[in-house]
Amino acid sequence: MDIMDNDFFGSHNDGYKLSSRLLTYQVTSKIFLTILTVLLGLEMKAQGPPIFTDTPIMLGVQGRGVRTFGNIISKENAKAYKQVLVVPYNITRKWQVGTIVPYLSISPEGTSSSSGFGDLKVFTKYQLYQKDGKGTTLRGLVKLTETFPTGNSSKMPTLGSDAYQTTLSLVNGYVTTKYGIYGEVGYNIAGNNLPDNLIYNIAIGYPLLPQKYPPNQLNVFLELNGNYVFDDVGNNLFLSPGIQYIAGRKLLFESGIQIPLTDASPTNQQTNYIVRIGTRILIF
Amino acid sequence: MTMNAQTDTSPLEGKITIEVDGLACPFCAYGLEKNLKEIDGVESIGINIDEGSVLLVIAKGKQISENTVLEKIKEAGFTPGTIKKESDE
Repeated sequence: MDIMDNDFFGSHNDGYKLSSRLLTYQVTSKIFLTILTVLLGLEMKAQGPPIFTDTPIMLGVQGRGVRTFGNIISKENAKAYKQVLVVPYNITRKWQVGTIVPYLSISPEGTSSSSGFGDLKVFTKYQLYQKDGKGTTLRGLVKLTETFPTGNSSKMPTLGSDAYQTTLSLVNGYVTTKYGIYGEVGYNIAGNNLPDNLIYNIAIGYPLLPQKYPPNQLNVFLELNGNYVFDDVGNNLFLSPGIQYIAGRKLLFESGIQIPLTDASPTNQQTNYIVRIGTRILIF
Repeated sequence: MTMNAQTDTSPLEGKITIEVDGLACPFCAYGLEKNLKEIDGVESIGINIDEGSVLLVIAKGKQISENTVLEKIKEAGFTPGTIKKESDE
């Protein structure tokens, strides 16, 4: 979960009704509980990487490709679009470096829009452990991410945080031929008097099609993506269902929606939903 | 005929099946296929996710080193297991 998704701007708005948000949440929860129940009754096979949570597996498209996705962000007082390019590169099989480049377009209600590049991120990952079995793998890594305030913060709405940020995370995952469970916890230290925050994500993945190689997979995910902001700001938590199609060795398409369960943003600036549509392409 | 992957270094030929631990997701297996293809003498590769194994077909008249195969599997991020010579069955 990217803190940038939640802290764009603040201004006025005419808002959405609370009852509408509750209804959306209740309907969505029922739909995904139903899907999960049906899926648990099926014979499950292996699956791909989660959509909103990081994976400790630095193989395939996760270590030899590029990823790009668009986030369509609906807030009570604005609409925004964020296109992100992620380029990882494996130095060794246990060590990866990479960069994340976001492009933002923000349109607050009642004021002028902004668009341009946001804050650049550079990350490195190192695998701490790996325990393989027949059709199973348990892996964990440490990830260090540095955010540079490259986004324009001199105009409103701002495109960047105007602060250097450092995030240290632990990413773990247990993947079998029948399901995958992924978890991530990280602490983000923010400069320029911004509050630090604790990032926590968990994901469960299930495949719908029989496994084979080259892959032809349809996978579903259910994720919880949280972000606790210190200094009495509060907790942001999203329920994030998603679907993913892996078309052969080198191409993956994915989409998901993030629905807020709790939102620490001020009234009238809260997030309605975030829709993500993306692809990963294996090139190296 | 099965061999201990850690100690037997006899040259491989014909068809061989290698157990590969950690092969839990098809999308992860591309690097394994790519690495094994780089070995001179490998004619074709079949990856079986269900069985957690790789079938290597070595070209007629060619031999490849067992250590090379094991190293390529490790480089790809997986754990090699036992090697079985299919042609001996």
